[in-house]
Amino acid sequence: MLVDFELIHRAKKGDSSAFNEIVTAYRKRILGTITRLIARPEDVEDVAQEVFLRLYFSLDQLRTAEVFEPWLYRLTVNAAYDYLRKQRRRQEYRMSDLSEQQVVMADALAGGKAEQDEQHHRKVREAVESLLGGVSEADRILLMLKEVEGLSLKELEKVYKVNENALKVRLFRARQRVLKAFGSAEKKTDAGDPVK
Amino acid sequence: MNPMRGSDDQKLDALFQAYRDACPDPEASANFMPNLWARIESRQSFTSVFQRMGNALATAAVALSLVLGAYMAIPRSNVGPTNQTYVDVLSEADAQETAVPVSLDYERPLN
Repeated sequence: MLVDFELIHRAKKGDSSAFNEIVTAYRKRILGTITRLIARPEDVEDVAQEVFLRLYFSLDQLRTAEVFEPWLYRLTVNAAYDYLRKQRRRQEYRMSDLSEQQVVMADALAGGKAEQDEQHHRKVREAVESLLGGVSEADRILLMLKEVEGLSLKELEKVYKVNENALKVRLFRARQRVLKAFGSAEKKTDAGDPVK
Repeated sequence: MNPMRGSDDQKLDALFQAYRDACPDPEASANFMPNLWARIESRQSFTSVFQRMGNALATAAVALSLVLGAYMAIPRSNVGPTNQTYVDVLSEADAQETAVPVSLDYERPLN
């Protein structure tokens, strides 16, 4: 937990400064999770604000402060899922899609290791985005939470409120689909240009 | 770590890990909190408009119920218990429906 239970209780009672402290404590983590879930940098803040907006208006429904984090993850997942459903299209990282700040950053990375790292990161992002294009938005989010965010099955159980076995089955199927796409991408790579 | 070594499972795990590194947690912009509070206040005012409409509707419904209740409670002259028996009522109704004999004027020529 990044905040103590007392702060959550205060926010539940309508203390705006307590709510501000909670947002400040969690916003970076939530922004990071949303970045990886939706892969659309310019919309990340908008979706994160939607998460905290939902948090503000539903805080009184939180039964105990102990379940705050899974609950916040649930709000994040729902907001990301709503966003992805609205988008209904897989993202491509092109220069025209990048925010102004990112273009400036990309320009600043002139030569040297930084540029190589950024190129590598871009390739990795493109590869993962392409692989996840073969699964539904719901499975994409589930896979991301498990494989990238590192949530355990127990934690996912609390977030999704379904039993562990159902999650295992769903994860297995989603992973199999991604693996299949990964295998065929590798074959293509072996035949042509190898990915570094 | 090179994600291209090992089995597909291991490679995929390595790729996900590389993705995690390629997408670090970003910093929020300076406008994050002001924009968030603007959205909260906007939603609150929107909600309060609906609450006011709901309250007005509820008040109108209560007032209408009271008016209808009062209307139903007022005794009307043709309603209520009567001293007449069932037979009296029937005969009275029958008297009203009794046909008046038609008088035919035989003197008037037909067209």
